[in-house]
Amino acid sequence: MPRRDVAGVSAAAGQLGPQLWRAARRYLRRRLRMSVDAIEHLVGGLGTSILALAAVLLLVLVALASVVGIGLAMVPSAAKAVRLAANRERARLSRWDRDLPLPPAVPTSLRDVLRDPWFRRECVFVGIHGTVGFGLGVLGLSLPISAVQSLLFPLYYWMLPPEAGGPGIVVWRIDGLPDALVVGLIGVGWLAATVALNPPMAGLQALPGRRLLAPPRDVDMSLRIAELTATRAAALDAHAVELRRIERSLHDGAQNRLVAVTVLLGAARRAMLRDPARAVEILDRAHDSAELALAELRSVVRGILPPVLDDRGLAAALDGLAAGCGLPCTVRVDVPGRCAASVEATAYFVVAEALTNVARHSGAASASVTVRRHADRLHVSVVDDGRGGADEGRGSGIGGIRRRVEAHDGRFTLTSPPGGPTTLLVELPCGS
Amino acid sequence: MRIVIAEDDALLREGLSLLLRAEGLDVVATTDSPTTFLAAVDEFRPDVAIVDVRMPPTHTDEGIVAAVEARRRRPDLAVLVLSAYVEQAFATDLLAGGAVRLGYLLKERVGRVEEFLAALHRVADGGTAIDPEVVGQLFARSRPDSTLSRLSARERDVLALMAEGLGNGAIAQRLFVTDGAVHKHIRSIFAKLGLAPDDRADRRVTAVLRYLEDAQRRSR
Repeated sequence: MPRRDVAGVSAAAGQLGPQLWRAARRYLRRRLRMSVDAIEHLVGGLGTSILALAAVLLLVLVALASVVGIGLAMVPSAAKAVRLAANRERARLSRWDRDLPLPPAVPTSLRDVLRDPWFRRECVFVGIHGTVGFGLGVLGLSLPISAVQSLLFPLYYWMLPPEAGGPGIVVWRIDGLPDALVVGLIGVGWLAATVALNPPMAGLQALPGRRLLAPPRDVDMSLRIAELTATRAAALDAHAVELRRIERSLHDGAQNRLVAVTVLLGAARRAMLRDPARAVEILDRAHDSAELALAELRSVVRGILPPVLDDRGLAAALDGLAAGCGLPCTVRVDVPGRCAASVEATAYFVVAEALTNVARHSGAASASVTVRRHADRLHVSVVDDGRGGADEGRGSGIGGIRRRVEAHDGRFTLTSPPGGPTTLLVELPCGS
Repeated sequence: MRIVIAEDDALLREGLSLLLRAEGLDVVATTDSPTTFLAAVDEFRPDVAIVDVRMPPTHTDEGIVAAVEARRRRPDLAVLVLSAYVEQAFATDLLAGGAVRLGYLLKERVGRVEEFLAALHRVADGGTAIDPEVVGQLFARSRPDSTLSRLSARERDVLALMAEGLGNGAIAQRLFVTDGAVHKHIRSIFAKLGLAPDDRADRRVTAVLRYLEDAQRRSR
């Protein structure tokens, strides 16, 4: 909201009311969304903190057993449990915002385990996350629950005996509606506490993970190198697969059609002398075959780099895909400006491959494609209402999608429970 | 002449049988996979099999494997292999068991109907038909120190046509020289390859095989 309007109160007093109201509403909506997100994070954190707590208990047990002398052999297994808990938190935080790379496997020998820089930091982490993180998670969950309980209390208080009190901290006697409304008012307080406290609590809960689970400084670079090497190999692999696909479709398609043309032309020439009518008939077939060859060449060329992508951009190219995919498909593209050509091409292929899968395997009645750009990341999602159960292992083009995306340093997730719906999410760095 | 065709592309399969039937040849069966092909060979006992190299399931060399198997079951079966492109390894695999009643041609040669039919008949009659492209590649790949390099340009031309399976007269016609000149070249080729001078067909085939083996050895 422009500042001038706030300053010129007397002049614009008439407009100020609605404008303030709108600003307040926007602010409230933002805070509300933040606190819903925070609840989600706190619940996720609660899950990993329970794992961390279990790991702590195991560590304590092993430590006690070690004092007696029999626990030392169990240290590597305990380290594995700690790593498991830590990796769950890494995955959670990676989904939230910053990427936390996974460490290499836990060493098998006792001495190496005790020397492992990751392991030491993870021990500190499970200690903090299993206690403080657990507490924060419980608190973060009970605040909104109390709010809902108390807010709804005036609706159901009459079902309870008066001396049972209300939810949460309300231990006194509830006599009639006014008392119940007071409890509802307390609920408003809980709600305010949720909105105000949950976001910082979620941040606080994630703090140990962010600090302690990031790679030790000297390890960071080598991990990144390993990751780049792997993705580079995947890029070359994806490239080779792509070339083989093109070779195959050229060979099986256009080339065979053209051979058929030469065969038919040869036959027609021989027939010309004996039976001209027959020759015309054969020439017709040769003509058809030549047209087929052209059509197949066109489709191969489109598969390499669709011209429309180059000329009109991603939105138009995806519209074209949706129109041709054989089921009702909505496309929403919100990408200001253009991304690097290779990124657009990858996004295009991801959608093309995904829609092919949807049409072929899902039995869906409709699908929707959304492409958005947040900062320098391109987010692509393809959702269908089919029967779900899509599986990367079963050779449908999903593995190909993953390879292409990872080759671009992007991220790929597929959720497809049996019964659907199937959601495919891809995140690509825009590179521009 | 009884013919069985193995070709997985439907259009091409029909085109081939249409062409052959129009020429009055007896196409007894058309098949689209190695298994159905071998079954047809057993059932219809054809004189000639025309086989595509790439067939299901993997579309690599199933046709070659099937052709070799068909020849093992029926040694007197003439086989003409059609390929979309020249693959040295396939040619040598195929010829390893001898080049009699054997042909290896690029698919587009079928369009030159007269030459294709001539090659088909030659193979059926116990001869050889190796695609000029295969022979050309052999020469292109030959190293200075190989046997091939000892041949003169003219002798290579003659050998290329021999490999295609042509007789002395036909070679003379193609090269616009006399029969006597061709005969002289062939004697010279045999001498340089260390083969006893002899006009028998299998001697000629040996010369071609010598090259194929040479090429294969060097490509390893």
